Amino acid sequence: MMGYQGVALVTPVTWGYAKQSPHGAAWFIGSVLREMCKRAGIDKTQVDGFAVSSFSLGVDSAVALTQHLGIRPRWIEQANVGGVSGIVALRRAARAVQCGEADIVACIGGDGAAHRAFEATAANFSSWSIDASFPYGAAGPNAAFSLITSHYMAKFGARREDFARIAVDQRYNANFYPGALLGHKTLSEAQYLQARPIAGPLHLFDCVMPCAGGEGFMVMSEARARALNLPFAGILATDELHNAHAEDPVQYRGGWTEYIEAFYQRAGYGPEDMDFLQTYDDYPVISMMQMEDLGFCAKGNGRQFVNETDMRFDHSGSPKYKLPHNTCGGQLSCGQAGSAAGFLGVTESIRQLTGQAGNHQVPGARLGLVSGYGMVNYDRGLCSAVAMLTRTKT
Amino acid sequence: MIASEKIKRRLKFHRPSLRARARAPKQRTSLGAQFSAANLSSSLAMQHCTHCGYVQYPPTELCGRCLEDALVYRDTIGTGVLLARTELHHSLWEFFKRRLQQGTWVMGSVKLDAGPVVLLHIGDIRLKPRDRVIVFSHSDNSQSVVLIAVPEDCDITESSTRHEIVGSLGLDQPALKEGGI
Repeated sequence: MMGYQGVALVTPVTWGYAKQSPHGAAWFIGSVLREMCKRAGIDKTQVDGFAVSSFSLGVDSAVALTQHLGIRPRWIEQANVGGVSGIVALRRAARAVQCGEADIVACIGGDGAAHRAFEATAANFSSWSIDASFPYGAAGPNAAFSLITSHYMAKFGARREDFARIAVDQRYNANFYPGALLGHKTLSEAQYLQARPIAGPLHLFDCVMPCAGGEGFMVMSEARARALNLPFAGILATDELHNAHAEDPVQYRGGWTEYIEAFYQRAGYGPEDMDFLQTYDDYPVISMMQMEDLGFCAKGNGRQFVNETDMRFDHSGSPKYKLPHNTCGGQLSCGQAGSAAGFLGVTESIRQLTGQAGNHQVPGARLGLVSGYGMVNYDRGLCSAVAMLTRTKT
Repeated sequence: MIASEKIKRRLKFHRPSLRARARAPKQRTSLGAQFSAANLSSSLAMQHCTHCGYVQYPPTELCGRCLEDALVYRDTIGTGVLLARTELHHSLWEFFKRRLQQGTWVMGSVKLDAGPVVLLHIGDIRLKPRDRVIVFSHSDNSQSVVLIAVPEDCDITESSTRHEIVGSLGLDQPALKEGGI
């Protein structure tokens, strides 16, 4: 696979997180575009590539948005792939820039959260969920993930205390990130364990809060980023795989296992070199699964790994091994803004690697891994994607 | 009253939580509706591929293995193994919210001997993962077909037995609210 030399990731923007919002998806996507142009010091007419992800555009598409927002891109992409949408947009946009199909690509994920909108999204998520999972009680993803979690716990001996490690350290990170909707509250292990039950082993703090928000970044050539005097991050390697391990009756691993070794070879670095890790944390068990499948520990050792690892952004926890994880608090503390949640890890990684993370800056962040997971079409998340990003001298 | 006020009033008073009768989700795709229709006269009917023999679930238009347009509904043996189960304490759907006031709702996933993995209601709370089960289909109170698992040794050949199990789960009647609209 060809490398990503000469590609720059710039202007990470997070916009408008709210538990409920009267605004539609176009408002969030347009606002992110406006803020990115301001930061880059360019006019929107210079944006000639447009990649967008959203669950709540309704009858509108990326094409409709070009007219709404008054842009004239010669390259568009609409990948509504939930938890991997950020990485997928990044991959496509990077190739477009490398091949000269576009000069400046705006990659944006955004979703509104009108009153009871989440119910509508859950009720109409996919034809298989409409016919074969929605009618069975939870009327949302909690049931499917409860089955995955209880199966994982039985198979590998993980306990709720282990999942608490992930949620509690993430909340600590969120306490230093002003954009996190739940960042004003602390979370202790006792609070996590005593939370009200939702479904089987899942309790309140295992579940993300659906919300509105937008996330975005721009992809351009390094030369252009330098000319605009923008701090930027580079891409060392990426990969994706969908509907892997279809033969597993219950999901306990994702597509990463199929390509992660070759991925690290292409990147030239391994998991031990990472200064931070951003996983897709719709539920803590999914983060644990990613730590295993991305090679941070062996399959089934996730519970041991999280107990021996300090996942705070500032290395202030007691465990000896340090791996800042979901450094802005992840979705568990920021809220899950629909498709924007698939961008959260990417924008946060660019912030960290370009030194724009402010109070929650990982000291000396040089290399980071961001991974995506998503789209519970029926009984499991189908998508897997990963990208290794690096700090680059401007 | 102007139109916008009218809409606001409707939204306020026609909320699912105020309705006298709450029902299980009725919405299905056209393929889901065909699944319901095929199961009305059978204890379990599933799509079988007449080209490669694959048993397909959830319902689709083409065989998920050989991609041939050769799926037909056939009576299917419902035996299988319970993969995982969960007790729901929370739901987004009003019918289940009302049922959950009386206790948890148990659902799970089963690997059928015929092949597919199915999500379903669990008809016997004593069932645990790796137990042998038998799965049958039945209409719920929205007149759509759902799947239910009971222990394999349970004799469900009589439709009256299956109806009794569905009744004991509270699936055959809507969940009522005193004084609802």
